Amino acid sequence: MKRLTMSKKRKLNNIALVFMNLPIVLLILTPLIYTLAISVMPPSEIYKNTLIPSTVSFGNYVRAFTNPAYSFSKYIQNSFVVSISVMLGQMFTCSLAAFSFSFLEFKGKNILFLLVLSTMMVPGEATIIANYLSISRWGWRNSYQALIVPYLTSAMGIFLLRQHYLAFPKELREASRIDGCSNLRFLNSIVLPLSKPALGALGAYVFLNTWNQYMWPLLVTDSDAYRTVQVGISMLYDIDAEALGLMMAGVIIVIVPSLSIFVFMQKQLINGLMAGAVKG
Amino acid sequence: MQKQVSTASKSVPHTSPGGRLYDKLEPYLFLLPAFSVFSVFLFYPFLRTIYLSFFLTDKFGNAKVFWGVRNYTDLFASSSFWASISVTFQFVLIVAFGSLIVGMITSLLTAREYPGSTIISASYAMPVAIASAAASMAFRMVFHPTNGLLNIIFGTQINWLGSPEWALFSVSVVTIWLQSGINFIFISAGLRGVPDELYESASIDGAGYFKKLFSITIPSISPTLFFQVIINIINAFQSFSQIRLLTQGGPGDATNVIVYAIYRDAFFNFRFGTAAARSIILFLIIFIITLIQFRFEKRSVHY
Repeated sequence: MKRLTMSKKRKLNNIALVFMNLPIVLLILTPLIYTLAISVMPPSEIYKNTLIPSTVSFGNYVRAFTNPAYSFSKYIQNSFVVSISVMLGQMFTCSLAAFSFSFLEFKGKNILFLLVLSTMMVPGEATIIANYLSISRWGWRNSYQALIVPYLTSAMGIFLLRQHYLAFPKELREASRIDGCSNLRFLNSIVLPLSKPALGALGAYVFLNTWNQYMWPLLVTDSDAYRTVQVGISMLYDIDAEALGLMMAGVIIVIVPSLSIFVFMQKQLINGLMAGAVKG
Repeated sequence: MQKQVSTASKSVPHTSPGGRLYDKLEPYLFLLPAFSVFSVFLFYPFLRTIYLSFFLTDKFGNAKVFWGVRNYTDLFASSSFWASISVTFQFVLIVAFGSLIVGMITSLLTAREYPGSTIISASYAMPVAIASAAASMAFRMVFHPTNGLLNIIFGTQINWLGSPEWALFSVSVVTIWLQSGINFIFISAGLRGVPDELYESASIDGAGYFKKLFSITIPSISPTLFFQVIINIINAFQSFSQIRLLTQGGPGDATNVIVYAIYRDAFFNFRFGTAAARSIILFLIIFIITLIQFRFEKRSVHY
């Protein structure tokens, strides 16, 4: 009898909790739901201040891709090229550096590792002017390398992988060394395959961060050929401030890849974020 | 890099007779790709920014006239600099505590599992994935003066982004929204670390929900909350997209936070020296906040 009332109480509690959460969930989701609603709403209804579209039309999505005034599909392509390159580049440079810091012994190791950690203390704004001037001097403005090369490594990536490598049993390295396995082969055929979770976390985090970048691409690109999505959607506004529906369709398109990573790689992403936030 | 390599090859003891040079160099070779990028795009530009902050520059950013500390003293003497500092601190405080409170409420409401809690948690964490630029564009519509959601719902005609009274508040709301996800994730993780026994013994003593919240939960997760406030502060200091896309620092200087002032100085007025000085001031502020965090963490280890 007592048990029954306990579970009943628990059920009531659950229902109360769901109802307490609903308004907050709605509040958090509102900007996105509203953006979606505007993007599929017939233009006349936007200006009549309708909140729920009477019919759903995907005209704005078609226009975002077909309007000759801006090359939205080119922006998307650019963002994919840049984000994937940065992601693969960081996996490469950070795996090697983290391997050196965790498996090898050499002089100056501690100082060099401190140097890596110290980069976390320098905010991007403290380097962005000088980086912009370098890029301009080399004639790199409006190029993929300007968007990719400065981000090809990160302290967060080295730190994340090093933490993972340090957990490897020492015997594994000893055994492979006796077999005459070189460091590079050991890294490639044993360490990396066993590091998929850490590499996944790094990859998800870096791809998302690069996809979401705004300030640097804004500074170093001003041609359609190299413009990325986040700068691109704000251009939709500059070109046609009245086309609210088109603008919102652009926002939704750009959010889809970010949300996909969040939904399908949530665990990896959160692991990456936890490591990344140490940097602040 | 070269310097490190050469000193190392001198002093690393020979592990095997005739140990090959390559074995000694290998650790450094593995570090080379990462350190090349750090050197060119982090160490050098950081030093270069410090250097530039002591010079007058031409419009291509070349140092022309040694100016000593005058870029700094000129900033300290200008009222617009202090206005920008004041706006930045207001913005940072609103955002840091606003997003902490949202994170606190959302993580407390999902602290235990119930039907639907997974999807509710996912909604609360979701803003971490959204770009600040994309969110800013979405909020631009929410704040739209004639056709925006806020004015439709409240039946008002407030110019949220264009009026001096509301602009900073509006930009802060966007930033709180953007940061609420990471606050939710970290505070939730903190809550999971509170031992159940603490609550059980308190329940036996007949403590109610709020009694437990203030005497057990909040003290137990106070290191997490402190850490999170610091992260919020540092992130808020670096906000740029929201300002650029929603208010351009305006109206007047109402939302001209330090980062936006740097952007204006360097890329509109081509005053790279002053912009560099502002960057270094921003660096020092963030540096001091980080030191405070380290201090606190060291202390809390002894508890």
